Amino acid sequence: MSYAPVTLPYPAPPALARIQRRSLVIGVVFLAGAVIAAIVEHSPAQFFRSYLLGYVWWVGITLGCLAVLMMQHLAGGLWGFVIRRPLEAAARILPLLAVMFVPLIFGIPYIYLWDHRELVLHDAKLQHQAQYLAAPWFIARGALYFLAWILMAYLLNRWSAAQDASGDPVLRRRMQTFSGPGLVIYALTVTFASFDWLMSLDPQWGSTVYPLILIAGQMLAALSFCAAILFLLAQHKPMSDIVQEKHVHSLGKMMLAFVMLWAYTSYSQLVIIWAGNLPGEISWYLRRLNTGWKYVALALVVFHFAVPFALLLSRDLKRNARRLARVAMLLVLVRYLDLLFWIAPNSLPGFEHGMPFHWMDIAVPAGIGGIWMAAFVWALRQRPLVPLHDQRFEEVVGHAPETA
Amino acid sequence: MSNPQDTRTGKAPVLAPGHTFATVTDKISAIVLSRRTTLGWVVGFGVGLLLTMLLLAAVSYLLVKGVGIWGIDIPVAWGFAIVNFVWWIGIGHAGTLISAILLLLNQPWRNSINRFAEAMTLFAVMCAGMFPLLHLGRPWLFYWLFPYPNTMQVWPQFRSPLVWDVFAVSTYFTVSFLFWFVGLIPDLGTLRDRAHSRLARGAYGFLAMGWRGSARHWKNYESAYLLLAGLATPLVVSVHTVVSFDFAISIVPGWHTTIFPPYFVAGAIYSGFAMVLVIAIPIRKFYSLGDMITMRHLENCAKIMLVTGLIVAYGYLMEHFMAWYRSDEFDAFMVHNRMHGPYAPLYWALIVTNILVPQALWSRRVRQNVGALFGVSIIVLIGMWLERFIIVVTSLHRDFLTSSWGMYYPTKWDWFTFVGTIGFFAMAMYLFIRFLPMISIFEMRTLLPEAEVEAEAK
Repeated sequence: MSYAPVTLPYPAPPALARIQRRSLVIGVVFLAGAVIAAIVEHSPAQFFRSYLLGYVWWVGITLGCLAVLMMQHLAGGLWGFVIRRPLEAAARILPLLAVMFVPLIFGIPYIYLWDHRELVLHDAKLQHQAQYLAAPWFIARGALYFLAWILMAYLLNRWSAAQDASGDPVLRRRMQTFSGPGLVIYALTVTFASFDWLMSLDPQWGSTVYPLILIAGQMLAALSFCAAILFLLAQHKPMSDIVQEKHVHSLGKMMLAFVMLWAYTSYSQLVIIWAGNLPGEISWYLRRLNTGWKYVALALVVFHFAVPFALLLSRDLKRNARRLARVAMLLVLVRYLDLLFWIAPNSLPGFEHGMPFHWMDIAVPAGIGGIWMAAFVWALRQRPLVPLHDQRFEEVVGHAPETA
Repeated sequence: MSNPQDTRTGKAPVLAPGHTFATVTDKISAIVLSRRTTLGWVVGFGVGLLLTMLLLAAVSYLLVKGVGIWGIDIPVAWGFAIVNFVWWIGIGHAGTLISAILLLLNQPWRNSINRFAEAMTLFAVMCAGMFPLLHLGRPWLFYWLFPYPNTMQVWPQFRSPLVWDVFAVSTYFTVSFLFWFVGLIPDLGTLRDRAHSRLARGAYGFLAMGWRGSARHWKNYESAYLLLAGLATPLVVSVHTVVSFDFAISIVPGWHTTIFPPYFVAGAIYSGFAMVLVIAIPIRKFYSLGDMITMRHLENCAKIMLVTGLIVAYGYLMEHFMAWYRSDEFDAFMVHNRMHGPYAPLYWALIVTNILVPQALWSRRVRQNVGALFGVSIIVLIGMWLERFIIVVTSLHRDFLTSSWGMYYPTKWDWFTFVGTIGFFAMAMYLFIRFLPMISIFEMRTLLPEAEVEAEAK
């Protein structure tokens, strides 16, 4: 973070620099194009809706990486060693995501019903919710979530850098002890952020398992993203000498577990709300399953569950980094589809029928993704690709770290 | 597999050093074959037997008089029977988790606790299964729950989760039994070969089903065991999910909430691991098995309890937040009634026993203190029972219409039945410990350094 030595041990391959430049170009072009179009077309509501979609998608991958980072500190396991640096790099770009939260604040009046006094006025329940969700509180809570996330990412990265330098065993113990309460804080903050940012799009609706579906999705996206990045890194030295079949296999197993957890929680929500059939709850599904969005729902069943589930059952596939990376890319993409399904059918009146899909729903998430990717690769290149004094180093690499 | 790691991580080993193939076999089989039956065993078994007699008396009287002897009424038609059903079946889940999921996850520490945890599952499911049957009112017509061709035009309502329960629980029992029995076969062979009396040799020989321990036997055995583990794994989640649907499919406030499936599964594992500790700690002490059931096992169980307990606490938080956030009249009243209504003392006892006290498990000192672990586990078992009581009773006794409100008080027959099942469970566990190897002999042998050398030589 502060001082990058000229020659890092285990440095990132030069190919990453190219990815960083290209991602940045894609990000700037798509985002700038969407902003100009939004101004010219006078469609701020569509722009902000798409922005929320892209933002939640990439924030989800980042937070998932933070959570998986803490999970591997707690549980050990050799898979955690090979993806520790990508996880840490993703966590380090949280301050950038905090800055990118600002446009959402300007979008509040365009995408959230509860911000419209005239709509809330006649309903006591809505008024009650509008008081909790009101913009100042919405912003204050957002700041609090980011404070917690950035602090956790900062501490874990600082200790990790210190471990690289000194190899002090106390640091390992400290990261492990921190990760237990850290995961509790992660779960609670993501829960309330999911209520604020996503569930409140439909203010009278509520589902208690909703945040768990999002958490399962975030962890799945993070593990899949790491599997894809690991494949990319393993094409070049030094990671080509380090990554082994069994590490990829473990990642594949966990992806399978989270595919199932996502499906289990999503199915629970559907079947309980369907069976209860209460007007305040079923509306969420009616708006999605009785319109053109049902095809998206079907696509989710097939590509967010059935296909990856069937593929990930294969042991051969899980041990093949290239094939696993393909499934991983699919899973990162279907996370977008799931969030589209959550966000898009819920917008202001006029969006309730058919399947109003707009090109910005692709352009803005791609733009945010480009900027995210550029920042991630930049962060990844700042440090050695493997944690130098991790307790698993010798077991994985086969010898003590070569410090340059 | 685990021992070299232990020296590096500084954790307690999963099997104390100094054991060989012979000492492991000797020590475990001696408990069944040659050691004298202790007075403690006789007393414990006797108490269990007496309570089982109480259960028989309570059930007999129930069959004569009908469910009117219980405290159930309208509006609270579910009462103790369902509370105890959910409690017992939840306890069973830890056994399946330990035996199936931890096997698939290559966690060798499970090897010394899986056998009695599986036995615990079987006996807990037996206790659980009794309650819905007795609650039917006319239990002798239980087979009407199955879809079979008949002339009465009776067919189960497949949209009712109570029918799903029949399938879920009977599958669960069948698979758990098969898994447990298949796991026992090599050890039954060992006991047959070591038994002195003709009777014991005959009995164990019959149960060992011709086990000779040949390479081909082992190969078939290993694949059968893995397949059964694969079959049992979804059951850890599915059974309690269906139990949670019993509640969540309805529209009763406090029951109809989408977090119920994961929250019930977590609660089941929570109480199950508490029961594993309640059984493991005395066994370890009285049979001096501290070298096989080490602090590592106890601490790992405690960690799983901490995690699942936190998920349960998260479930409570979500219910409360959602009732406040949506300000639904009925949900808000349900929460208020739990906290301030006639059953409020039980609710607050639930919060203390199920959420506050187990937070002590964050501390390594508590996790490594056997007495404290035993105490916390007992408290969690009480807490999880209270949770089911609160869910069943407070949601039913005051629902949508104030004119149909009521109260529920368990009668002595409710208590006799409940305490009777605890006695039955204890009696069955005592018999199991006396007549079958409570720790898997052949799986313990794989933990030895010698086994590792042989595995490498292959």
